[in-house]
Amino acid sequence: MFLAVREMKHSKLRYLLIGFIMTLITCLVFIISGLASGLSSDNGSSIQNMNADYLVLESDVDTRLDRSVLSEEILDEIQDLNVDAVPLGQQMTSVTRDGMDQKMDVTFFATDADGFLVPSVVKGKGLDAGHPGHVLVDEKLKREEGLKIGDVLKDEISGEKLKVAGFTEGQTFSHTPVIYITNEKWEKIQQGFSKKGKAVVNAIAIQGGEDTVDKVESSLENVEVVSKEEALESIPSYQAEQTSLNMMIAFLFVIAAFVLAVFFYVITLQKTQQFGVLKALGAKTGYLAGNLIGQVILLSVISIGMGVGCTFGIQNLFPEGIPFTISNQMLVQYSLLLLAVAVLGSLLSLFRVVKVDAIEAIGRVE
Amino acid sequence: MMEEKLLFQEISKVYGDGNTQVTALDHVTFGVQAGEFVAVVGPSGSGKSTFLSIAGALLSPSSGSLFLNGQDLTGLSSKQMTQVRLNHIGFIFQTSNLVPYLTVWDQLMLIAKLAKVDKKQAGEKADQLLSRLGLEKRKHHYPEALSGGERQRVAIARAWMNDPEIILADEPTASLDSQRGRTVVEMLSEEVHARKKAAIMVTHDERMLDLCDRVVNIMDGRLIEKTATA
Ligand SMILES: Nc1ncnc2c1ncn2[C@@H]1O[C@H](COP(=O)(O)OP(=O)(O)OP(=O)(O)O)[C@@H](O)[C@H]1O
Ligand SMILES: [Mg+2]
Repeated sequence: MFLAVREMKHSKLRYLLIGFIMTLITCLVFIISGLASGLSSDNGSSIQNMNADYLVLESDVDTRLDRSVLSEEILDEIQDLNVDAVPLGQQMTSVTRDGMDQKMDVTFFATDADGFLVPSVVKGKGLDAGHPGHVLVDEKLKREEGLKIGDVLKDEISGEKLKVAGFTEGQTFSHTPVIYITNEKWEKIQQGFSKKGKAVVNAIAIQGGEDTVDKVESSLENVEVVSKEEALESIPSYQAEQTSLNMMIAFLFVIAAFVLAVFFYVITLQKTQQFGVLKALGAKTGYLAGNLIGQVILLSVISIGMGVGCTFGIQNLFPEGIPFTISNQMLVQYSLLLLAVAVLGSLLSLFRVVKVDAIEAIGRVE
Repeated sequence: MMEEKLLFQEISKVYGDGNTQVTALDHVTFGVQAGEFVAVVGPSGSGKSTFLSIAGALLSPSSGSLFLNGQDLTGLSSKQMTQVRLNHIGFIFQTSNLVPYLTVWDQLMLIAKLAKVDKKQAGEKADQLLSRLGLEKRKHHYPEALSGGERQRVAIARAWMNDPEIILADEPTASLDSQRGRTVVEMLSEEVHARKKAAIMVTHDERMLDLCDRVVNIMDGRLIEKTATA
């Protein structure tokens, strides 16, 4: 590191510029991945946070919750297998606050009032089978629409009235806040849709491991058991959002690798004669290679660190409501990946350093 | 018998093969004693640089054997040759070839670092060398701020840093005017005699030859001894 540090000090501008580029790339990687994971939970946090292990869906519906239709007999059959299971009805709709015209897009999740799907309450009360009209609402509606406990909502399609009993958090589906309702209310709302009068559900949530999945899949026909991840990815728009953002991130890694590779390669080419002299003076190839890698690592660690700081700085400038979440795990993972990519990019230069012959130092004028 | 610092025994160097073969050195036998400063002269393409590269363990001869301070260097691996250069040989190149981003002080300390010499000991040595070569005031300067003569003096100091058995200089005065060039060679000569080490200098400059103890002439890869023009 003797040479590495002194060279960087002496050619400050050069290394500052490349460090600046690395910082910007790092920053962009984190902003985009923060948005990707922010959008992901803004889109489907109800599925991500669901207190279930698997969802049983109708087969041949591309694992889409909104297309799957299951009868109540299937729930009984699954429960007969000694599996913890509750029904899940799902309906995207819009509601208005009583006496107002402003429509709000929401998603109904209907389930047993005392079942394991009901999320924890952050304010007010949860679902209660004794009060079928009471609902549990995602706090996004409180934050963005100013909804309060006790407010009455009207479903635009069925005309059913719902009373806000409490708020929960982290419950969205396809970017809309989720309203948890009781099975009793669900039946009434369903009658509005189909005049059949027979309640249907979209999915059955189960708890258990792989063996439970096998048990359900082998004893029931025309059903499919999917993991929460699969269900999440089949939310309309989820794939499209994530794929494009992830592609950007992948490209940023490639760009980072190439920018650094070119920078260090050009610098190394310039120094070929110098490396010859150093080798003639008795510097081992390993020593020179170590200094090169040392420079790359030093530069990357500082740049990545500044990029992380810069990300948090920029995050504060974002307007309220932009979904942006960054986990420590993601920070560490992507930082290490960037570092690895940087070192990878310097391999080309390393190869040059190895190839320089000490004999270059003698009998050449430059 | 005097101590042979460096000994060439029947050394040949052939570049290339087939009909593009060039014999750069042709059965050269040659020795340098301790305290001796030898000049090598000869026309362009006669094999001077090749001679110096072999003497400096930068290049392996095609045949013959080479002894440095009694140690046989024939057949060493390139790693072992690097070690020999680091510990026993000092180089002064045509252009000073200082590392552009190191101060004069760090140029010297780099050698100590490579040889893993104790820092304090190396520091004393560097101080001593710099004052002998009149460079105390230039200690913290970068090469870009030094004159050509000062750079060559730094190169000389650097060459002595590892306390080598032999100093090899490849046209050390080529980039200097004759006055400066002479001063640099005088310094080199004084150091060699004072330390009882050996030095070989390739030069085109006839005016420097009186500072050397011996002059050898290379013609088409063959060595011809001249008597010193002292
Ligand atoms: N790497 C090489 N491959 C092939 N031939 C070479 C190589 N290096 C030198 N030669 C040839 O060997 C001969 C001696 O070269 P050398 O460089 O030793 O000459 P020199 O005396 O140092 O010349 P100059 O005074 O011009 O520096 C020349 O004919 C040269 O063309
Ligand atoms: Mg030459």
